[in-house]
Amino acid sequence: MMRGRTLLLAALTGAGLCLCGHAGYIYAKAMAAQVLIQRAWQESQETQRQVKPWSWADTWPVARLVVPGLDVDLYVLAGDNGSSLAFGPGRRFGTNMISAHRDTHFRFLKRLRPGDAILLQERSGPWHRYRVTATAVVNKSVNLPRAGDPSTLILVTCYPFDAIVPGGPLRYVVYAQEIEGKTI
Amino acid sequence: MKQHEESRLNPRLSDWDEVWALVMPFILQLSLALILICVLAVAGRTAQAGEVSRLDTVRQGSLLFADGHGGYRPALTQSTEVKIDVSGMIVRAKVRQRFTNDGEQWAEGVYVFPLPEAAAVDHLRMQIGERTIEGRIQERQAAKQHYEQAKAQGKKAALIEQERPNLFTNSVANIAPHETVVVEIEYQQVLRYNNGEFRLRFPMAITPRYIPGTPSEESVTRFDKRGWAVDTDRVPDASRITPPVWRGEGKINPIALTVHLDAGFHLARVVSPYHAIRRVDQDAARGITTITLADSDTVTDRDFELSWAPAPGRAPRAALFTEQVGAEHYHLLMVLPPDAAAPQQRLPREVVFVIDTSGSMAGTSIEQAKQALVLALQRLQPGDRFNVISFNSTTDRLYGDARPASPEYLDQARRYVAALNAGGGTEMRPALEAALRNSQEDNALRQVIFLTDGSVGNESELFRLIHDRLGRSRLFTIGIGSAPNSHFMTKAAQFGRGTFTYIGDLSEVRSKMEGLFQKLDSPLMSDLTIDAGGAALESYPQRLPDLYCGEPLIIAMKGAKEGQVLTVHGQRLQAPWEARIALQNAIPGRGVGVLWARRKIADLMDQQRRGADREGIRNNVIQVALQHHLVSKYTSLVAVDVTPSRPQGAALARRALPVNLPYGQQYKKIFGHLPQTATAAPLDLLLGAVLLLLALMVRHFTSRRAERP
Repeated sequence: MMRGRTLLLAALTGAGLCLCGHAGYIYAKAMAAQVLIQRAWQESQETQRQVKPWSWADTWPVARLVVPGLDVDLYVLAGDNGSSLAFGPGRRFGTNMISAHRDTHFRFLKRLRPGDAILLQERSGPWHRYRVTATAVVNKSVNLPRAGDPSTLILVTCYPFDAIVPGGPLRYVVYAQEIEGKTI
Repeated sequence: MKQHEESRLNPRLSDWDEVWALVMPFILQLSLALILICVLAVAGRTAQAGEVSRLDTVRQGSLLFADGHGGYRPALTQSTEVKIDVSGMIVRAKVRQRFTNDGEQWAEGVYVFPLPEAAAVDHLRMQIGERTIEGRIQERQAAKQHYEQAKAQGKKAALIEQERPNLFTNSVANIAPHETVVVEIEYQQVLRYNNGEFRLRFPMAITPRYIPGTPSEESVTRFDKRGWAVDTDRVPDASRITPPVWRGEGKINPIALTVHLDAGFHLARVVSPYHAIRRVDQDAARGITTITLADSDTVTDRDFELSWAPAPGRAPRAALFTEQVGAEHYHLLMVLPPDAAAPQQRLPREVVFVIDTSGSMAGTSIEQAKQALVLALQRLQPGDRFNVISFNSTTDRLYGDARPASPEYLDQARRYVAALNAGGGTEMRPALEAALRNSQEDNALRQVIFLTDGSVGNESELFRLIHDRLGRSRLFTIGIGSAPNSHFMTKAAQFGRGTFTYIGDLSEVRSKMEGLFQKLDSPLMSDLTIDAGGAALESYPQRLPDLYCGEPLIIAMKGAKEGQVLTVHGQRLQAPWEARIALQNAIPGRGVGVLWARRKIADLMDQQRRGADREGIRNNVIQVALQHHLVSKYTSLVAVDVTPSRPQGAALARRALPVNLPYGQQYKKIFGHLPQTATAAPLDLLLGAVLLLLALMVRHFTSRRAERP
């Protein structure tokens, strides 16, 4: 009886700690990686070449995303597959669509309102200024209009924001339109 | 140095990932098992059952539209029955759509369906059991109000609206649980006659249209889930032309189709290239025959086509149909100019190939397009110049400027084409702009050959562009796939002063392309005019097109009377051509007046696309449409029952009926998928916390029990 109790206690405590630890690891990775990516970004701006944040990475920083009103400053990675998104927001190739996790980098998306300003810096240097025009909740299988248009910035994250279980079918989409007078 | 530090730090990150991947499933299973044991022990079975059903409803309700995951079938289903009568060149068709409500709730069905691009829809009937209610033509706004009012009062009603000349919406209100309502529409049309062959098309599927533009704030908040797209600045009615696509088991929307053909001549052959047919001849000499689909469980997932040809030398060269409506005389004239041999000396030309590589082209379509393009490259001669443009979300040009058709460049082009893959959006505008940019100032013939399925929602914007930028170029569209947008194909070719070719299957690429090459090489019949010897004549199209080899002139007229003679004039290679047709030889043709009105509306809408005053055109269209009982962009047919059937208080569920993805297309390539954007961290945290809490509880309870004795 005593032994069974100890075993159950050990199993419960062990599994609980493991799960909490993994959650912490996900958050830590998301934060720590941005520091490494920041260095790679600086180097790629100096050299004007792709710089990988660590030697075996399959992605590299392509832009810097700043939301002045919400104190957001993020480095955007190339590609939006799962291995990129673990470390930072990812931009789909050939588009101006940036995705990130709702519970890490793009948690702030729910606080964006039409009219808010978003700044995006390309590797070549210039800053582009966008203004939020619309937000929408869509099914993940919808094709987003304008995803290929450089004058429209599209930010995507999972919806609802506070869902516990990952892998749901809905996405929250923020559309932002470029404002004339490109550089700041 | 910096690099070195990072690489020391990161192997640990990566090792942890691998270890976690191995251990994680085990821990998750264990923790779920532990939780389940505890939950069962503490709370019993009732709580668990409650949890499951609640989760289920949440999942259903959170979908934006029913996309049919998990074998769920829609409560409201639709089946179609089509009867087409062909008499000479005139087509009269009845389309019966049967809506069956298998649900327990009163339903409103919204069904978006295609029709031939020049169909004149002039009748609507709603059948409820034994009763039939005739539809009336009204201004679109008024018809809509009429329908909404009836819907609110609980009366049965049907509304036919035109979204595009080849795309219509049928709304049916107040279908009772376990009831069937049949909506019948009728339309009139002229056959296509080309290279001595008659061709009848009945579209059965809608290739999902690409929607460019930015959604406005208003459209996003107003989004009512009837379509999968949100209205944008460039496609303000996007939600109306993007019906949900069926993704459940099998295919839906079955169809039965019968063609009663009275050709008027002995038939050399009758071919249905995409469907198996059964044919029963009634009178072989006159070419009277009945054709039905051989497959009884055909579904609407690819366009139906039927072509037939007379025995050689029996091809009609002219035909005239007349109808008198009130005091007005209407005529439909078909004249086929004689063939002319291609000139000995071929002029050098500049050919720009544009190929659509968007997601809707994925599957069989892109293969057809690539093969057609390779064939066309083979036809280029020394002295010609060419370029290849491919586009999806972005436009890609093989060369900055047209290059000579030398073996080296042609070889490069073939390799470029072979490497093309389909995927992404359909940003057609930049591709058309690039293709119509006249690079050389010389007098070479400039031909743009455009291979696409035309699955875009911003047609009008593109027609305007073609009209404005055409210059000395000529645009030839090649419609690819099992359900191309025929309205875009024909109008783009019309504004581009070229022709439209349709390729629906890999096996017909060669023969169809040969037909096109023949047209490109043969001299044009141009400067066409028609007169009735001084009598007033209102004819459409007002500006007669140039005719390519094998193409007839088809004109609808109002005015001239019996006894008068119509004369058609034209020019080919500086030689005049003339044809005279006496009106007394005309055959009576039912519905010629409707065809005239439909062509007049098409002509007015073209004027609007070219930039004419919107309001003036709108008023003209409404006047013609109301007089001839026609559905148009500004008029709709509406049928309303007299007595209410839905009791006050019973709820009405609105259902957008899904449509099949056309044959050979791939869902994922068209819609893509947005990435997964949530981590497992919140779930891990929750489960972890629950387990730790359980550990505490176990410790607490068991230690107390141990102390008790």
